[in-house]
Amino acid sequence: MTARTPSQAPDPRPQGTVRRSLARGEHWIWLTGAALAVCLLMIGGLIGVVIYNGADYFWPHRLAQADLADDDKVLGVLIRSESFREPVPDQEGVYEVKVRTQFKVGNRDVDNADFKWLRDEDFSNLRYPADAVALEREEYGDFYGYLTAILDGSDVAAEGTAAWNLLRQHHGEARALAREETRILKKEIGDVNQIILDAEVRIKRAERTMAEGAERDAEIAEARVIIDQQQERFEQLKAAAAEKGEQSRRWVAVMQTVNEEEVEVPLAMIVRAFQPNQMSLGAKAGHYLGKVWEFLSGEPRESNTEGGILPAIFGTVFMTLIMSIAVVPFGVVAAFYLREYARQGPFVRAVRIAVNNLAGVPSIVFGVFGLGFFVYFVGGTIDHLFYPDVLPTPTYGTGGVLWASLTLALLTVPVVIVATEESIAAVPRGAKEGSLALGASKFQTICRVVLPASIPGILTGLILAIARGAGEVAPLMITGVVKLAPNLPVDGDYPFVHLDRKFMHLGFHIYDVGFQSPNVEAAKPMVFTTALLLLAVVALLNIVAIYIRDRLRKKFQTGAFS
Amino acid sequence: MNAPANVDAMTEPRQASLPVTVGHPDRSLPEDLDGRHPPLIHVRGLSLHYATNKALDDVHLTIREKLVTAFIGPSGCGKSTLLRCFNRMNDLIDKVHIDGQVLIKGQDIHHAGQDVIELRKKVGMVFQKSNPFPKSIYENIAYGLRIAGVNARQVLDETVEASLRSAALWDEVKDRLHSSALGLSGGQQQRLCIARAIAIKPEIILMDEPASALDPVATGKIEDLILDLKRNFTIVIVTHNMQQAARISDFTAFFYLGKLIEFDTTRTIFTNPSNKQTEDYVTGRFG
Amino acid sequence: MPTHFDQELDDLKNKLLTMGSHAESLMQKAMKALLERDDELARDVKEDDEILDQLEIEIDDLGVQLLAKAPLAFDLRLITVAMKISGDLERVGDEATTIARRSIELSQEPPLKEYVDIPRMAELGRHMLKEALDSFLHRAPERARAIIPRDKEVDAMNKQLHRELASFMIEKPSTVTRCLNLMTISKSLERIADHATNIAEDVVFLYEGRDIRHQGLAGQE
Repeated sequence: MTARTPSQAPDPRPQGTVRRSLARGEHWIWLTGAALAVCLLMIGGLIGVVIYNGADYFWPHRLAQADLADDDKVLGVLIRSESFREPVPDQEGVYEVKVRTQFKVGNRDVDNADFKWLRDEDFSNLRYPADAVALEREEYGDFYGYLTAILDGSDVAAEGTAAWNLLRQHHGEARALAREETRILKKEIGDVNQIILDAEVRIKRAERTMAEGAERDAEIAEARVIIDQQQERFEQLKAAAAEKGEQSRRWVAVMQTVNEEEVEVPLAMIVRAFQPNQMSLGAKAGHYLGKVWEFLSGEPRESNTEGGILPAIFGTVFMTLIMSIAVVPFGVVAAFYLREYARQGPFVRAVRIAVNNLAGVPSIVFGVFGLGFFVYFVGGTIDHLFYPDVLPTPTYGTGGVLWASLTLALLTVPVVIVATEESIAAVPRGAKEGSLALGASKFQTICRVVLPASIPGILTGLILAIARGAGEVAPLMITGVVKLAPNLPVDGDYPFVHLDRKFMHLGFHIYDVGFQSPNVEAAKPMVFTTALLLLAVVALLNIVAIYIRDRLRKKFQTGAFS
Repeated sequence: MNAPANVDAMTEPRQASLPVTVGHPDRSLPEDLDGRHPPLIHVRGLSLHYATNKALDDVHLTIREKLVTAFIGPSGCGKSTLLRCFNRMNDLIDKVHIDGQVLIKGQDIHHAGQDVIELRKKVGMVFQKSNPFPKSIYENIAYGLRIAGVNARQVLDETVEASLRSAALWDEVKDRLHSSALGLSGGQQQRLCIARAIAIKPEIILMDEPASALDPVATGKIEDLILDLKRNFTIVIVTHNMQQAARISDFTAFFYLGKLIEFDTTRTIFTNPSNKQTEDYVTGRFG
Repeated sequence: MPTHFDQELDDLKNKLLTMGSHAESLMQKAMKALLERDDELARDVKEDDEILDQLEIEIDDLGVQLLAKAPLAFDLRLITVAMKISGDLERVGDEATTIARRSIELSQEPPLKEYVDIPRMAELGRHMLKEALDSFLHRAPERARAIIPRDKEVDAMNKQLHRELASFMIEKPSTVTRCLNLMTISKSLERIADHATNIAEDVVFLYEGRDIRHQGLAGQE
């Protein structure tokens, strides 16, 4: 064969630096790298904004005092300054640029406003008095002012500087008594109420199911006795609670606002008292950590704008857990049927398309379906069959954590089915053939070989399902989430897990706090903090699942390259 | 000059004589052929279609007990297809149609009443690409027993050791029985698959090009193993390596385009085949 | 299209055929040296034998090389047969050398009588050798089979000559040296015929795949 040797033909490769570089595709490296950088910046920016706005929330800021016109003063935390345009008086269409500052002045019970905007030119003599006191209260939010005296009952126990020490001395005791009062009211009276309720149910059931006669009457009489006993106990507890309450309100702090108005605050109503202008860095850090802990472990106050969000954290995690328990078996079994048992034909293809499209349905539609099917139909039926005596109060016939979890499970099941199908397809044919050749039935092969090997893929599906489900809010609003839940879905009362209870959710909490609260300004930082927490919770769930999956993946590596 | 007796004479199950050339006993065969190595598998008029493709065309063949029979032929000639008929692995493929019979110990294995799972416990298979399960070495071998319902620790321990010894793998893995099977080398994995197959004590072992993915040293070990195993098992091996067939098999069948061209003792096929196509294939002058 | 292996096999065949014709001509030379009492020719024979030795080494070497490529069927038979035939041909050369040596000795003394039997034996032996080699060259195992029975003729002639020479020696003791030399020559010719027979049997094995050696009467048809 006589061909022109390559050295004789002219070099067909592009000449010139730019052309050569384009041919090699170097520009693509730059473009893809830039795209990745933009994505990382966006994610980083998102997290950064949330952290910046939210992390500030727990820091004990200094109290600033300034003089106003008319001998008025203002005391509060400096929030931010901004420039604005003010129309010049007597000159139409002309504006002056001025600066104004927002003060958080607290004392909602005195001034009716938490925040005040003041023009910078209107206040002067900004200073940070050392003995300014900040109080976090159970009601009416923060108080900023000065401690003048401590009362013991109606007598003055201490004044001036001694008052602060006395406050610290008795604060814990007063709080403890108040907690005791709450406990009696909530738990013990709550138990009593439950017993009364159960007895009433007994009566109703007896009337419904038993025939007229001595037996029925005896049952009803017994129940009535119980009711009476409990009523007595109720009175006793009420009295005990009232006594505790009285005791807790023994110590009272007499506070003065910066404009010398007096306010009496029982020590029991004070959550925290501190003098921010005197605190050292260490003390402030301690305060910060304490508030973070309260945030994570405490209950909400002041219509969710203060306090902690433990119920929301618990509700989110618990709901995600129930959703996972529901979606994984359901999705995995469906995927196995579609892939292994069903005869591959147009019908199976249609089912697969339908499943994939299910993932595109707007989540609120799922909420509506959940309401109609789970809550009204299934829940209503359960109520009629198992809880007829409590009716018309619904048990399962209303929103609750079970229905919300199942609705989200439906929402995320396509993801699990697709991920499982992919992982089944990835199990090498050799492993399945090898099992069958040893005399295993198809079912044994699936259980012992295919399923264990596809667990990493199934976990991937679960991770995606959790990521999607933990973030959805719209369907939950209709199927069981509430602004404030009286109790958690899991507690010490039999049967310990209450799937019919309503629950709180971080995502909904953000919406509620940010847009439904009476005091939006006060709530703003909390929105960010809650968002940060939601990100952290989802990230943590994902990291745990990813870790488990990686461990399993190493174990089941097929060794194709060994 | 005598031509060798008709190949078809081999397929009649009752006839015991071989097509020896007159006056020439084939010294390569063991003594007392019909007594010690009676026919075990009879293939009668077997034809197989995948959709419209004819993969096997009227095959007649007899496999004898406790000997090694090799199937050779160019790619696509149907040798693997025939092998997979013996344990009905072709059932896994859609639209397969079979005419004719495969009788193992007199029973038609395609008969409607045949329990495929029991068949596969009696007819084991080793694949071209070794396919250990992603489990420990111990669990790989115990798999066949566990699915049959045997879970007693002692029985499993004994069987695992015996199988690994038979597969010449025990000394290499006895200290790491519970480590992953995927950590073994290619040759070790294939021996593991063989051990796994013999653990359930089948009567027949089918091997589909078991050494084709292995280096010469590993291949040598597998070949040696096959020669050991044939004392206890009937082995049918598909190979495209003729020297391998010459080294280890007692009988060889040559296939081309789905038809059985020649079936005879290995010595005859490789030193003096009757059919010109066989001669051309074996000397590498095919096509 | 012939492969490299095919070319190497052809190489082997050609070497063998070369060796064959060389052995044949060496035998003829030796006989000519004997009958014409040509010592010069006889010495040539001794030298030319080395060529046969060299060829045997080459053929064996090439054969082993080819066997390492694990040939089968016809190729396998060809290589093994070639190595055996080369052995037989090399010994034919050795026998020719023996004849040449004996003829040098014989030419020192006056001829015993007219040589009649010996040329006849030689001719038959040469014919057998030629036929065996031709049957190899022309793929004609039937021609090889045809010469195998003739070995008996050569054996008979050898026996006959031995008896005659033996009685001659007894009658005329002065001819002992010459008779013994002639007996040796006769033996050599008989051996050459044996080698030709071996070659013929090998050719039958090569082309028919059948081993007909040591059959006595049974394997002949």
